[in-house]
Amino acid sequence: MMLSFSLLKLGSPTVERCPPPGQCRVPSETRCEYVRVRSAPPSLAPHGFGRDPALASFLSRFLHRRSKRICEGISLWLAVLLMLFVHPLYAEANEADNVGQLHFVDGQGQWQEPALVLDSEFDIQVSGLIADTRLLRSFRNTSDQWREGVFVFPLPEKASVYGLTMKVGERTIEGKIQPRERARQKYEIAKQAGKHAANVEQQRPNLFTARVANIPPGETVSVELKYQQPVRYQAGVFELSIPTTLTPRYMPGAPLQSSSGQWHSGWAVPTTQVADADAISPFTVTAGDVARDSHRASIELLIDAGLPLEAVSSPSHQLATSRDGQAVTVRPVEGSILMNRDFVVRWRPLAGREPSAAVFHQSWQGEDYLLAMLVPGQAGTRVLPRELVFVIDTSGSMAGESIRQARSALQAGLQTLTPRDRFNVIQFNSQTHSLFLGPEPASGNNLARARQYVDRLRADGGTEMAPALALALQDIERREASSPRVRQVIFITDGAVANEAALFRQIREQLGDQRLFTVAIGSAPNRHFMREAARWGRGTYTAIQAPSDVDGPLKALFSAMESPVLTDIRLDWPGQETGIESFPGRSGDLFRGEPLIHVARGVPAMGELRVSGRLPGGQDWAKTLDLQQAAPGAGLHRHWAREMIDSLQDEAQLSGREPDTALITELAVAHELMSAFTSFVAVDTAPARASETPLASDNLPTLLPAGSASGMLRYPQTATAAPLLIALGLVGLMFSVALVLLQRRVFP
Amino acid sequence: MSRLLLLLLTSSATLLVFGLWIPFKAVLAQELLELAWAESQARQTQARPWPWADTWPVARLALPEPNDSMIVLAGTHGESLAFGPGRLAGGPQQTGPVVIAGHRDTHFRSLKALETGQEIRLQDRHGQWRSYRVENTRVVDSRSEWIDTRQLTDDTLLLVTCYPFNSVDAGGPLRYVVQARATATGDRREQIDTVAGI
Repeated sequence: MMLSFSLLKLGSPTVERCPPPGQCRVPSETRCEYVRVRSAPPSLAPHGFGRDPALASFLSRFLHRRSKRICEGISLWLAVLLMLFVHPLYAEANEADNVGQLHFVDGQGQWQEPALVLDSEFDIQVSGLIADTRLLRSFRNTSDQWREGVFVFPLPEKASVYGLTMKVGERTIEGKIQPRERARQKYEIAKQAGKHAANVEQQRPNLFTARVANIPPGETVSVELKYQQPVRYQAGVFELSIPTTLTPRYMPGAPLQSSSGQWHSGWAVPTTQVADADAISPFTVTAGDVARDSHRASIELLIDAGLPLEAVSSPSHQLATSRDGQAVTVRPVEGSILMNRDFVVRWRPLAGREPSAAVFHQSWQGEDYLLAMLVPGQAGTRVLPRELVFVIDTSGSMAGESIRQARSALQAGLQTLTPRDRFNVIQFNSQTHSLFLGPEPASGNNLARARQYVDRLRADGGTEMAPALALALQDIERREASSPRVRQVIFITDGAVANEAALFRQIREQLGDQRLFTVAIGSAPNRHFMREAARWGRGTYTAIQAPSDVDGPLKALFSAMESPVLTDIRLDWPGQETGIESFPGRSGDLFRGEPLIHVARGVPAMGELRVSGRLPGGQDWAKTLDLQQAAPGAGLHRHWAREMIDSLQDEAQLSGREPDTALITELAVAHELMSAFTSFVAVDTAPARASETPLASDNLPTLLPAGSASGMLRYPQTATAAPLLIALGLVGLMFSVALVLLQRRVFP
Repeated sequence: MSRLLLLLLTSSATLLVFGLWIPFKAVLAQELLELAWAESQARQTQARPWPWADTWPVARLALPEPNDSMIVLAGTHGESLAFGPGRLAGGPQQTGPVVIAGHRDTHFRSLKALETGQEIRLQDRHGQWRSYRVENTRVVDSRSEWIDTRQLTDDTLLLVTCYPFNSVDAGGPLRYVVQARATATGDRREQIDTVAGI
């Protein structure tokens, strides 16, 4: 004790304020505290130390300090703990420079820098039933190296591409239609020679590859595509959809060669069932992974429907519309949209002014082309007991918003069942699983089970569609032979498969007297698959863009499914001379609200077209269309040629032979159309790149469709929020303890 | 003021509890899964660990470092990964490579310590153990690389978890992948029990 005080005396002059040793009962180990009394309010010192209450108050204050010390100790420990958690944060922040930007890594861990910035401009004009589009794609090279850009992109499912122009600076170079191999050869030669060149190939009817060679550093090369597409007209509403990205397709089958570790153009390797898998599997990235101004599209749509419109709307984007008489100009509100979902525009004529028939005529190279459209109208429905099989895609590509929409579509479908119906639910991903062994009556109990089953569906795994289709279509043996039920299959999927042709063949073979209806889900469904699957399945298709569509288009589909309006349709063109080629060759059945659309060559605009068919009750139905009233149309010959090519390919599909390549090529070249066997190539005259300068190749990624979660074989999310929650909790606790301490100090 | 303080205190305490609940749940669930695994081995069925579970045990995975084994569940959606590592592809019933993913904060924390040449073992529903030897470990960017199971040989085992290991960001793009290849089975049966400690 004495020693300690003497030490204090020596150490500091402040000790003079200390009371004499005898009075001071402070234990030695608290001497520092004692010294710090100085900081206490001055009122403490003068009031005598000799009085007992004062001593008590001092003691209590001392104990207080002790608890404060404990608190300080705790907060110190918390701080240490916090440091442990914060440290990785710093470490990550340092890494962030590498992580934030997109690099493609190949098997050897080599980095590929993003170099090309992509910009798209759609300029669309709708007149009548055909929409004509000029699509300008610009590839801006941001690197200091010469580049080749390869971009896999979707176009509308019935698009007929009829022109390619390459723009380099001020110059434009017209592209030419050529047989596919020759076009590719020409492009490769020009690429080696250092000339500007562009090549566009068709991989699938709705999937194309653009190649642009020798883009100079810091400059832009643009490719302008011209294409037309028919406008969809259903239940009094016109619809135009412009796909901007694709949902990664599933590639069934075993790989053909093991090229593991090699850098290739796509994420997939060719398989036994999809020989061109690497050509149609561009890498998918999120918008944050590409340059801020890349992968954006500006769209301008001019609708000249020829009749007053009531409303123009879009389930996918907000629109800015301006009217000029009957013509309406439509733009997305935000100017340029991100290319991560289909741009869909719908327009509706004034009530009562919906067209029920229309004829367009064009004469091209001395030939007459006619496009006729007829809506049979609403016939009375005859509701038969049905057997409904719902097939729902729960593969990985459906993860996210898609599976939610699919579930609500299925729930809506379950609601349309009546107690007389029978039903089953089949889900498929890598494996197929059905709710019941066979179709069960739609009793309350079964429906409740189905609802629960549907609510629990999750998206994961591959898209093995064939076994699911087989199960749905061949379930038929199980039912009793005398059943008078109408059998229908509702197929809910995003169509993200690459073996479309094999699946169409399977549908045709297994269909029997059933009907297959497809419901397209997601921001970027494979509409070609949905449309063709429904056509081969003698049904109709609908696409759901937004949750609100479950009430609109989906309801229309369910009511249309109750019975077809017109079957056994026959068309009699005037004169019925030979030489009239009309497509589609065999009309499918029409459902409520569906129009009959035919295109014919060799029919002049005179006489009458007679359409006949059978109504659900069995009565005959016939209608005539006066061809003399035909309005002038444009692009009808291309539509006809596309239909003819499609029909040639259908025939090959039906007979199991190879399609007539020579005939299709000849037809496509005559009409300057892109097809599976013809593509466009544009080559500049003079070389731009010296042969010794190297050329790097860039495969442009596509954007992950909006609302879509991880794709089919992507790495799963394998971290929890636990460290973050613990760190936040500790920070919060420490902060509040610090506040408590502070408060005690300030207001003693 | 004190009310605000109380609010801050309780909310951060709640956060902390939620944060600690995740690893706790991971440990607790494994205990329950042991029972379900025993049942599915005995009955050769998909035994759900609890009636409302949307997943079931498919395998047992033994890692060398903590000398511990854990039950692997079917599927890799968020709910199943909270209870145990999930099987993304392959398995004893299906042929082909096996891909198992787990949370880096809970079950697969120990992947960090795995080194080339070490032994990983996997038990199927029939009680058959298969041993794999670690071939390599690498870090991949999940935005640009996909798991292409067809590029892997049938005797491959992939263990996937998030990377970096002590990051707080749950949505990071990097993944840590351990690739292992099956060694000849059968002759190692004796040794297995001692190594696994089961």
